[in-house]
Amino acid sequence: MLTAVKNQIRVCSLSVKYNIMREMVNKVTFLTNVGFMALNNATFLVQWMILLRLRGDVGGYAMREIMLLWGLMAASYGLSHILFARAFSLSELIIKGKLDAYLVQPKNVLVSVLTSSTDVSAIGDFLYGTVLVCACKPGMGGFFLFLLFVVTGAVIFTAFAVLMGSLSFWFVRMDMLQNQIVMGIVSFGTYPDGIFKGVSRFLLYFIIPVGMAVWHPVHVIVGFDAGMLLTVLGYAALLAGISVTVFYRGLRRYASGNLMGARV
Amino acid sequence: MRKYAVIYSSVLMENLQYAANVALGFFGYFVFIFIFIKLWGYMYRTPGELIAGYTKEQMIWYVMMTEMLFFGSGAASVAGEVAGDIRGGNIVYLLNKPYHYTLYVLTKYTGEWSVRLPMYAALAVVIGVVMVGPLPRFPLAAVPAMALCVVLGLTINAVFKLCISLFSFWIEDTTPFQWLYNKLIVVLGILFPVEIFPQKLQPLLKMTPIYTVCYGPAKLIVDFSPEKCVEILAAQGVYLAVGCGLMFLIYGKGVKKLYVNGG
Repeated sequence: MLTAVKNQIRVCSLSVKYNIMREMVNKVTFLTNVGFMALNNATFLVQWMILLRLRGDVGGYAMREIMLLWGLMAASYGLSHILFARAFSLSELIIKGKLDAYLVQPKNVLVSVLTSSTDVSAIGDFLYGTVLVCACKPGMGGFFLFLLFVVTGAVIFTAFAVLMGSLSFWFVRMDMLQNQIVMGIVSFGTYPDGIFKGVSRFLLYFIIPVGMAVWHPVHVIVGFDAGMLLTVLGYAALLAGISVTVFYRGLRRYASGNLMGARV
Repeated sequence: MRKYAVIYSSVLMENLQYAANVALGFFGYFVFIFIFIKLWGYMYRTPGELIAGYTKEQMIWYVMMTEMLFFGSGAASVAGEVAGDIRGGNIVYLLNKPYHYTLYVLTKYTGEWSVRLPMYAALAVVIGVVMVGPLPRFPLAAVPAMALCVVLGLTINAVFKLCISLFSFWIEDTTPFQWLYNKLIVVLGILFPVEIFPQKLQPLLKMTPIYTVCYGPAKLIVDFSPEKCVEILAAQGVYLAVGCGLMFLIYGKGVKKLYVNGG
């Protein structure tokens, strides 16, 4: 069992490594993508400078909390797109019958699918997020919490994308909807939770998992709360479990597209 | 001109067939508007309060209009597709046709947004009226002037995005430059009106494409005045002329560098 897990992890690492090496063939394009993505994210600091100039805080967040929020969001989004970029286009694979190539491989199907692609610009997101959080001087403990929450955030984003993508086994046209719902998380997750009240707040914490991916983690980094930390860890594990179950349940319904293809 | 009219009508007919697909994008637009309704609801603490000369309703309508332009125009034809045509060599099949490539792309793009934009405009009006309330003192008689300003704004935006894509003649991937251009438009023009920025920055912002692409059309819809309309239309005329000049120049120089492998 342990050897099988070790082998699977080794295959995943090699898959991601070769994805990145393939993208690095053209170094100028690679560096431009990474650098400009970081710069692209940085432009949003202007938005918050303007808003915080109007009011001292927005939804209870001052500049430091905003930077933590953006840093956590960018790094989690980045990590999920570096390691598991294919989760975000899973719908397309299912609809077009492109899963065949993964089904015949001797390793875990879902893990093989998820690690088969890397979004290079996500490296820029990850670096930007990490630098931004370091600039907030969170302390040693805060930085370790940040690293932990980057992992839980990436797990939540990926699991949610897999869950939405897997619905394509049952429904058509989920590809556009998957993309929009996942991008919706990013949009909500870059604004403070204090501006949302009532039903919308409940939905954003428990149904669309923005609260568990970024808002709770920011609260824990600012003022440690073991209960919140355990809630986030539990939620990430639960969502991952549900998404894996739904994927394999849906896979039973999968019909090949008779598409000729090979993965080298 | 007739050939471009034919291209326009054929693209329009094609896009009308897939109008239902446009509706699938409404979710993303709604999310943005929902966030901004909540955000400005938090920022305005007392009824009737003014921020940078805008009431809460005007501020939300401003964002709804700029986001409508952003979502409703969808710029894939002038950004990714042009870069892909040049990088992949497909441009060879388009160069020998009896039209100018850049004008062909602009016409195709106009045909695409002619279907998308009215659908997003209808959605924006419904969301605005239901969730924010109608715009006070909206001048119906000025709608043709506003529409002209919107069309010019979209065309100027397309010309500048096309200019960036044409750099694919020299560099492999222009996508990062498109990101940066988009983000500048979003942060400095879509999210806030120019008046919200510090006084010293405002003249500078009025000299950028942002003033003609998103601020101008949205400002006229939210707070119309004949003087402002003339000023914005004049600025758009200048920008369109300069943008087109730049586009033809880059294309003329770039196409000489084109090297396509057989295949």
